[in-house]
Amino acid sequence: MILSGHGLTIGYSDHVVGRDLDVALNTGEVLALLGPNGGGKTTLLKTLLGLLAPRGGEVRLGDRRLSDYSNRERAHLLAYVPQFHAVTFAFTVETVVLMGRTAHGNLFSRPGIADRDIAGRMLDRFGITHLKDRPYTMISGGERQLVLLARALAQEPQFVVLDEPTASLDFGNQGKVMREIRALGAAGHGVLFTTHDPNHAMRAADRAYLLRGGQRIAEGATGEVLNRTQLETLYQAPVELISDAAAGRTAFLPG
Amino acid sequence: MPDGSPVKSRANLNRRKVLTGLSATIVAPRLARAFALTDATGRAVAIPDKVEHIFPAGPPASLLIYTFAPDLLLGWTRNPEPLQCALLGSGACDKPEVGRLTGRGNTTNLEVLIKLKPDLILDVGTINDTFISLAKRVQDETGIPYVLFDGRFDAAAQLYRQLGQLTQRQAQAEEFARYSDNTIKTVKGRIDQIPDARRPTVYYARGPRGLETGLGGSINVETIELLGAHNVAGDQRGGMATMSMEQVLAWNPDVIVTIEPAFAASVHTDPVWTPVKAVQTNRVHLSPRLPFGWVDFPPSVNRLIGLWWLAKVLYPAQFPEDLRPLALDFYKRFYHLTPTDAQMDSVLAGSP
Amino acid sequence: MSRSTFPGLLVAFAILVAGLLLAFMVGRYPVSLGDLFSVVVAKLSGRASGVPAAAQNVILLVRGPRVLAAAMVGAALSVAGTAFQGLFRNPLVSPDLLGASSGAALGAVIGIFFSLGVLEIQALAFIGGLVAVGAVYLIGSSMSPRDPILVLVLTGVVIGALLGAGVGLMKYIADQYNQLPAMTFWLLGSLAATNVTDLVPLFGPVAAGTLVLFALRWRMNAMSLPEEEARALGVPTGLLRIAIVTAATLVTSASVATAGIIGWVGLVVPHIARTLVGPDFARLIPASALLGGGFLLVIDTLARTVTATEIPLGILTAVVGTPFFIWLLASVSKTWA
Repeated sequence: MILSGHGLTIGYSDHVVGRDLDVALNTGEVLALLGPNGGGKTTLLKTLLGLLAPRGGEVRLGDRRLSDYSNRERAHLLAYVPQFHAVTFAFTVETVVLMGRTAHGNLFSRPGIADRDIAGRMLDRFGITHLKDRPYTMISGGERQLVLLARALAQEPQFVVLDEPTASLDFGNQGKVMREIRALGAAGHGVLFTTHDPNHAMRAADRAYLLRGGQRIAEGATGEVLNRTQLETLYQAPVELISDAAAGRTAFLPG
Repeated sequence: MPDGSPVKSRANLNRRKVLTGLSATIVAPRLARAFALTDATGRAVAIPDKVEHIFPAGPPASLLIYTFAPDLLLGWTRNPEPLQCALLGSGACDKPEVGRLTGRGNTTNLEVLIKLKPDLILDVGTINDTFISLAKRVQDETGIPYVLFDGRFDAAAQLYRQLGQLTQRQAQAEEFARYSDNTIKTVKGRIDQIPDARRPTVYYARGPRGLETGLGGSINVETIELLGAHNVAGDQRGGMATMSMEQVLAWNPDVIVTIEPAFAASVHTDPVWTPVKAVQTNRVHLSPRLPFGWVDFPPSVNRLIGLWWLAKVLYPAQFPEDLRPLALDFYKRFYHLTPTDAQMDSVLAGSP
Repeated sequence: MSRSTFPGLLVAFAILVAGLLLAFMVGRYPVSLGDLFSVVVAKLSGRASGVPAAAQNVILLVRGPRVLAAAMVGAALSVAGTAFQGLFRNPLVSPDLLGASSGAALGAVIGIFFSLGVLEIQALAFIGGLVAVGAVYLIGSSMSPRDPILVLVLTGVVIGALLGAGVGLMKYIADQYNQLPAMTFWLLGSLAATNVTDLVPLFGPVAAGTLVLFALRWRMNAMSLPEEEARALGVPTGLLRIAIVTAATLVTSASVATAGIIGWVGLVVPHIARTLVGPDFARLIPASALLGGGFLLVIDTLARTVTATEIPLGILTAVVGTPFFIWLLASVSKTWA
C-alpha cells in the first residue's frame, strides 16, 4: 500500500506553508523527513495523516483519496505517534495503549478480550509490560514514547507516522526508539518520521526527504541524499562530516 | 485715612457681611420663615413654609402622601398598573414615575430629582444607620430637605399627624390619624379579650407553591402578628424564608393566609396540602390586592383595611361586621374613589 | 472490570445507599422506620398500610419525590461535570461552563417577572439552558477554529457573562416586594417545592442525557486527548462533541429548571470519584453518578432538617464542598489529575 501526496499545497487557514509538494511512502519502508524549524515538516506530516486538510492537491491512501476515509477507517490504516505533550488525566499505561483499539470498536463498545490481548502483546513487544498499571504521568520520557508507540501499533495499522520521536529523550533512549522504528519498517509497516538529527535518519531510514521553507530540497535514498552539501543547503549552516573508516560509518555534526 | 489698613479692613468686613447676608436671602428664599422638624433620625430638618410638592423616597412614602393629599405627590416610585388605576382617584395615574431613592438599589437619578424641584423628600420605613446616612447624603448633595419617618404599622396615626405638621394641613391630617387610631384600637381591643389559647396558629403562604413565609418580626407578617395570632414560623426571627413542605405539615396551621391566587386555587385539590388543618376546615384565605395589597406589601397604610379583613379571618366570632361597607368607606377616604359593586366584588374575591 | 477498581465502585454505591436511607429516615415531619417500611411494602403489594394518612402522605408525596429528585439531580450534575472535564481536558470545569445554568436562570427570572405559573417557569428555565448552549455552540463552531475546544470555552464564558448581566437587569427592574424575593429564592437553589408532578419533566431529560453519557464512556478517554490525537485514533470528535454537549446540557437544564442553581456538585464529585476509582472514564462515569446522587442526598437532607427554615442548596454545597475540595487537593498523594 502507498501513502502519497500529490501537488500538495499545505498550510493553515491564515497562511500557506508549502506549495506543490509530492511525497510517497510504501509499506515496508522508512522515510525520514528533515528540515529546519518552520519549514513545514509538521504541517506536511499532519496533512499526510489527514489531520489537516490540504489547501491544494490531494493525499491518497491506497487507491482512494484520504479525505474519502472516515476517521475510523483511516485509523485502521494510519497511526500517529505525537510528540510528547502535557497530559491532563493520569491514565494507566494499559488504558493508554487500549485507546489504540478505539477504531476497532463502534461508538459504544467496550474493549473486549481480543483488544486487551493485543494491547498486552504490544506492551510486551516494547518491554513495558511491567509498567501496565503505572500512571502514564509517572514514567520516564523514554518509557512514555514507547507507550505511545505501543498505542499506535495496537491500532494494527499499515503506516506509522511519528512526529519528532526522539525529541526530549535521553541519549540512551534515542537509540532504543530508533531501533524500534527500524524494526517496524522491517516488519512491513510504512514508517514516516520527522527528525532534527540527520544521524537518526541515516541509521533508521531507507529514504530521506529534505524540506526547507515549504520546498522540497532533495529526496531519495538516505545514503545518496544525506551528504554534507545537501545538509548545509538544508540548514543554511556549516555541517561537519565524521567518518569511521574502520567501521565504515559516518556521522554528521553541526559545524 | 492716611494709614488705611485697619479702617479699610473693617469696611471690608462689613461689606462682606452684607453681601453674604444678601446672597443667603436670594439663594434660599424658601427657607425664609421655615421651621425645624425633628424627624425619626433625630435630625432637625428645616422645613419650608410652603410645601406643595413632595418627592417620595420609596413606595410606602408615595402611598402615604397619595392617601393624604394626591396633589402633594410629585410622582410614584413605580407607576401603578392599569388594574390599579381603575381603583385610584384624583388623577393618580397622571403622575410621572420617579424611581426610588431607598430600599434595594436606587433607580432615581439625582439630577432628575433636582430638576423636579420638590419642596422636600419624604421617606417612610425602617430607621437604621444605612437609611439615616442616605438621608444626610441626599440632603447635602441636593440641598433639598430629607425627612425620614418611622414606618411601623402601629405608628400610622403618628405618621399622618407628622405629615399634617409638615404641610400645615393639620386638620386634614387629624381625620386620617383618628381613622387609623380607631381602626387599630377597635380591632386590637376586641382581640385583647381573647385568651392566648384560643388564638389560632397562622401560616402566611407566599411563592408559587406557598412555601415562602415571613419569619417572626418580619415586616411581611407585621399585621398578622399585631393581631396576636401565632405565626407558625415565628419562633425564628428574621425576614422571609423558604420552608420545606414537611415542616408546614408538621406545624399543621389552623389558618393559612396567602396573597397568591394560583396557590389558593390549587391548595384544595393538591394531595400534599389537603391533610393540613387549615385546608380541611376551609380556612385558607386569599388576601385582596387591588389597588394595593391588604396584607404584607407595600408596607404602608394600605394595610389598615387589611386589619379588619385579617381580624375576620382569624377571629370570625369576634368580628361579625360586614366587610363591604368598611372597605367602601376606606377606599373613598384613602384612594379617593368609590368602587362600583362589581369592582368591590372583584376586589374582595382577591382577583389579581 | 479490573479488580482494583471494584472496591471503589462499591464504596460509591454504599454512599448512595447510605444517602438514600438517611434521606428517607430523617425529616421535619416525624416518620418512623416502621412506617416507612410499611408504606413501601403496601405500595408495592397494593394493600393498605395501616399507617396514618398524614405520615403516608409525607412519605409518598413529599419526602419521596424530593429524595428521588435529589438523587437524580446529584447523579446527573456529577455525570455531566465528569463528561465536561473529559471533553474540555480540564479537571477544573463544571457543567455550567457553556452557559446552561446562566441561560436557565435567565429563563426562570423572566418567567417570575411576568408572574407565570410554576410549570411555565420551569419550562422557560429548561428552554433557556438549551438555547444558551445552542447559541454558544453555533457561534463557537462557526469560527472553524484550530482548537474548537478553546473557542467553545471562551464563547461559553462570554455568553454566560452576558446572560448573567441579563439576570442582573431583571432583578434590577423587578418589583422589590414581590418579584425580587421570588427571583432571589429561585436562584439560590432548592428542592423544597418538589412534588410528584415535577418528577416527570425531570426524569425524561435526565435519563436521556445520562444514558447517552454512560454509553459514550468508553470513548471519553480518547476524547480527553488533544484534538488531533483523538482524531488520529479514529474517534469522530465532532460528532462526540455534539453528543456530549447536548446530553450534558439536557441534564443540566432539567436539573436547574427543577432545583435552581446548585453549584459545586458537578465540579467536586468527579474529583472524589477519581480518588475512588481512578481517571478511566469507563469507571469514572458510573462512580460519579453514584457518588453524586449520594452527595446531594446528604446535602438536601441537611438543607431541610438542620433548621426550621430551608437552607438553600447552592449555599450548602459551597459551604460543604469548598473545604472538602481544599482538603482533597492537599491530601491526595497520588496525582490522579
